[in-house]
Amino acid sequence: MRIALFTTCLAEALAPRALKATVLVLEHVLEHVLEHEGVTVELPAAQTCCGQPMLSNGLPADAAILARRMCEIFAPYNAVVTPSGSCCSVVREKYEALFARGSADHKAVVALAAKTFELIEFLETQLKIDPATLRGKTPSAAPITCHDACHLRGIHRHGSTAPYLTRACCGDVRELPDAAQCCGFGGMFSTQFPEVSTALGEEKLAHVASTGAATLVASDTGCAAHLAGLAHRKNVALRVISPAEALAESLGLLETGAPNGGNPGAPNGGNPGAPNGGNPGAPNGGNPGAPNGGKP
Amino acid sequence: MNPLIAPPLPFDMKPRARDAVRDLKLQQFVGNATHLKDTQRGGIFGRDFGHDYDELRTVARDTKQYALDHLDELLERFITNAEKSGAKVHAATTGREACEIALNIARAHGAQGRAMSCVKSKSMVTEEIGLLPAFEAAGIKTLETDLGEFILQIDGDAPSHIVTPMIHKDRVATAKSFVRELGARYTEDPTELTMIARAHMRGLYRTADLGVSGANFLLADEGAAVICTNEGNFDLSVGGPPVHIVFVGIEKLIRGACDLAPFLKLLARSGTAQPLTVYTSFVRGPRRVGEHGGPKELHFVLVDAGRVGVLASEKRDLLRCIRCGACLNACPVYRKVGGHSYGSMYAGPIGAVLTPELERAQGNTDAGLANYADLPRASSLCGACYEACPVKIDIPKFLMHDRARLRERGLSPKSEGHMLKLWRWLAERPAMFRFAIRAVRLHARMLGSKDARSGAEHSWIKSAPGPGAGWTQSRDLGIATGESFREWFARRDNKSGGGR
Repeated sequence: MRIALFTTCLAEALAPRALKATVLVLEHVLEHVLEHEGVTVELPAAQTCCGQPMLSNGLPADAAILARRMCEIFAPYNAVVTPSGSCCSVVREKYEALFARGSADHKAVVALAAKTFELIEFLETQLKIDPATLRGKTPSAAPITCHDACHLRGIHRHGSTAPYLTRACCGDVRELPDAAQCCGFGGMFSTQFPEVSTALGEEKLAHVASTGAATLVASDTGCAAHLAGLAHRKNVALRVISPAEALAESLGLLETGAPNGGNPGAPNGGNPGAPNGGNPGAPNGGNPGAPNGGKP
Repeated sequence: MNPLIAPPLPFDMKPRARDAVRDLKLQQFVGNATHLKDTQRGGIFGRDFGHDYDELRTVARDTKQYALDHLDELLERFITNAEKSGAKVHAATTGREACEIALNIARAHGAQGRAMSCVKSKSMVTEEIGLLPAFEAAGIKTLETDLGEFILQIDGDAPSHIVTPMIHKDRVATAKSFVRELGARYTEDPTELTMIARAHMRGLYRTADLGVSGANFLLADEGAAVICTNEGNFDLSVGGPPVHIVFVGIEKLIRGACDLAPFLKLLARSGTAQPLTVYTSFVRGPRRVGEHGGPKELHFVLVDAGRVGVLASEKRDLLRCIRCGACLNACPVYRKVGGHSYGSMYAGPIGAVLTPELERAQGNTDAGLANYADLPRASSLCGACYEACPVKIDIPKFLMHDRARLRERGLSPKSEGHMLKLWRWLAERPAMFRFAIRAVRLHARMLGSKDARSGAEHSWIKSAPGPGAGWTQSRDLGIATGESFREWFARRDNKSGGGR
């Protein structure tokens, strides 16, 4: 079995740590939980962008060109896994309408859709990994909360991250009030209607603050960039990470509190008035020699 | 007509949206009410049908779609059966025609030298065709009898929600309006406020010459209309005056009472989280011999006003809409900008896709989309509307469809189009695409700001040019500037060992 990592361009540009975590978690699961021989996680080098920005902004013909590329690039693999909820839903839900039913392209996108999964979905529904088997040696008790990408609705996975991370003991997973409401990112909507987008983001951050969690797990790179960027501008101490990072940190595959893609502490030397008083540092005191890490 | 819902065209949504976001009262009223209704909707469906009521939605979707696919046949059947029961049926291609028909009916009953009066129950299609301004111009004094619509009427305000038209106001504003317009004593008690309105209206029902209403469903087999209300005002408006006119969009037709059940199960639950509206009234024919109530004359005005055009277009699914308002309550953008930001009597997700197709939006140029170019873009495509829709209208799909139409007609910002085309061109060339990503990361490393605690491997861009300015006006952009994912992946592949 060959598993391809679908990196997404946004994550390659903004959040490489989420991609590293995805690889590390997948490899950990394959080696230590499933003890599968001969399953590899590969990085198809030619992949670029899935076409979501064109598709969402009135350029379906341009999106179709990139959809065809995606089909070719991922053809040799048995499964395509991505940490990004929205890019996953584009492949799964939206590609099909770009091509005439019965055409070779249509068949190709249907085949790609059938083997493309968001990471947590892949672990839960395809590899059938009981999250309890993903518990780290010293489960974290740090409060975290989860925001799922709205696009996960389309693949019936909205709201699935928090329960999975709870059972994997990735921390004290707090329920996010009004979790169903969009964070306001919405791709180019965020720049076309910045005031509305920001108002929605502020509401989301207020709900996050109300949980007492200093770490937000967001299942889409776009949502994460929007919320982390808003928090940073407002001097709110909040780490924003992906579900893959939450799992990788809990399993000791990544050091907790590394600053990638998030905001580890209040800028300007901490903000004593901020809720949670900034980030006191890595809760698990860092973990330089990660157990179970690497390949034998 | 009220410029809040019939603005000068082309309509610019952005200033209204900006103002609405800063309007703290609107944020509170609309935010609270929509969240509450949306939560209660989920609750009542869960309680009554289990959380999966998808089957019921599918039945409703297919039933309504069947009716739309057989609209010609059903229209004929409705007309035959309605006339058989003694009602008069009129067809209006345009809103103006619909108003003219009503004015002619009124004139036929008008007494010389006496002003006529009309009691009207809530109807979106009458907002759409501008019935009230037409009646006022003809000297027909019209009373909105739905409490919310009544308050909006005395305030010179306009509805901002399909189902709860005064969602943007509260009872404090209502109390003040009642003191000012009705000479009532000041009270904020909802029951007392309702009694004040009731006392004001009761006599007017008795003396009105004309009753006007909309309809939720038209039954072809029975030649009847079904009207769902909570206040009983419809029954009074149809029971008192000698003449009643039902205005109804042609898309409200269904086969007959045999098909009504799924819609009644869905409508009130979706809209207001009630199992049924308080009143579900059936109107069939005028008063018959021996009956004590009901109008002596009953008219149906079947309104097209752009609907036939929608039926022939790719957006025909929109005509399935039963105006429950669930998509408005579920929509994050509607919750923030309120109904008046959409510049139409149909706000929220369904309004964003429907408004450009309506007759009035076309102006004189047959260019509804050009007149409402902001509407398809005012969405994060989160899909909450589709999830809430009881007849499964894939609203995000139609928003994307309209975005493509905007782009084809050159109605979207050009710079944005060029950028997306360039992005796609680069994406076909992996080496160049990777170079572009590296350039972004390099840019961030050189010019972005670093915090003491975010380390050397993370930068924040605080101001960006072009479309990026919309981002950085309120947000920073965090970019990881250290080792790229591909470098890391290649490094550990080479070592074929750990490393992170």
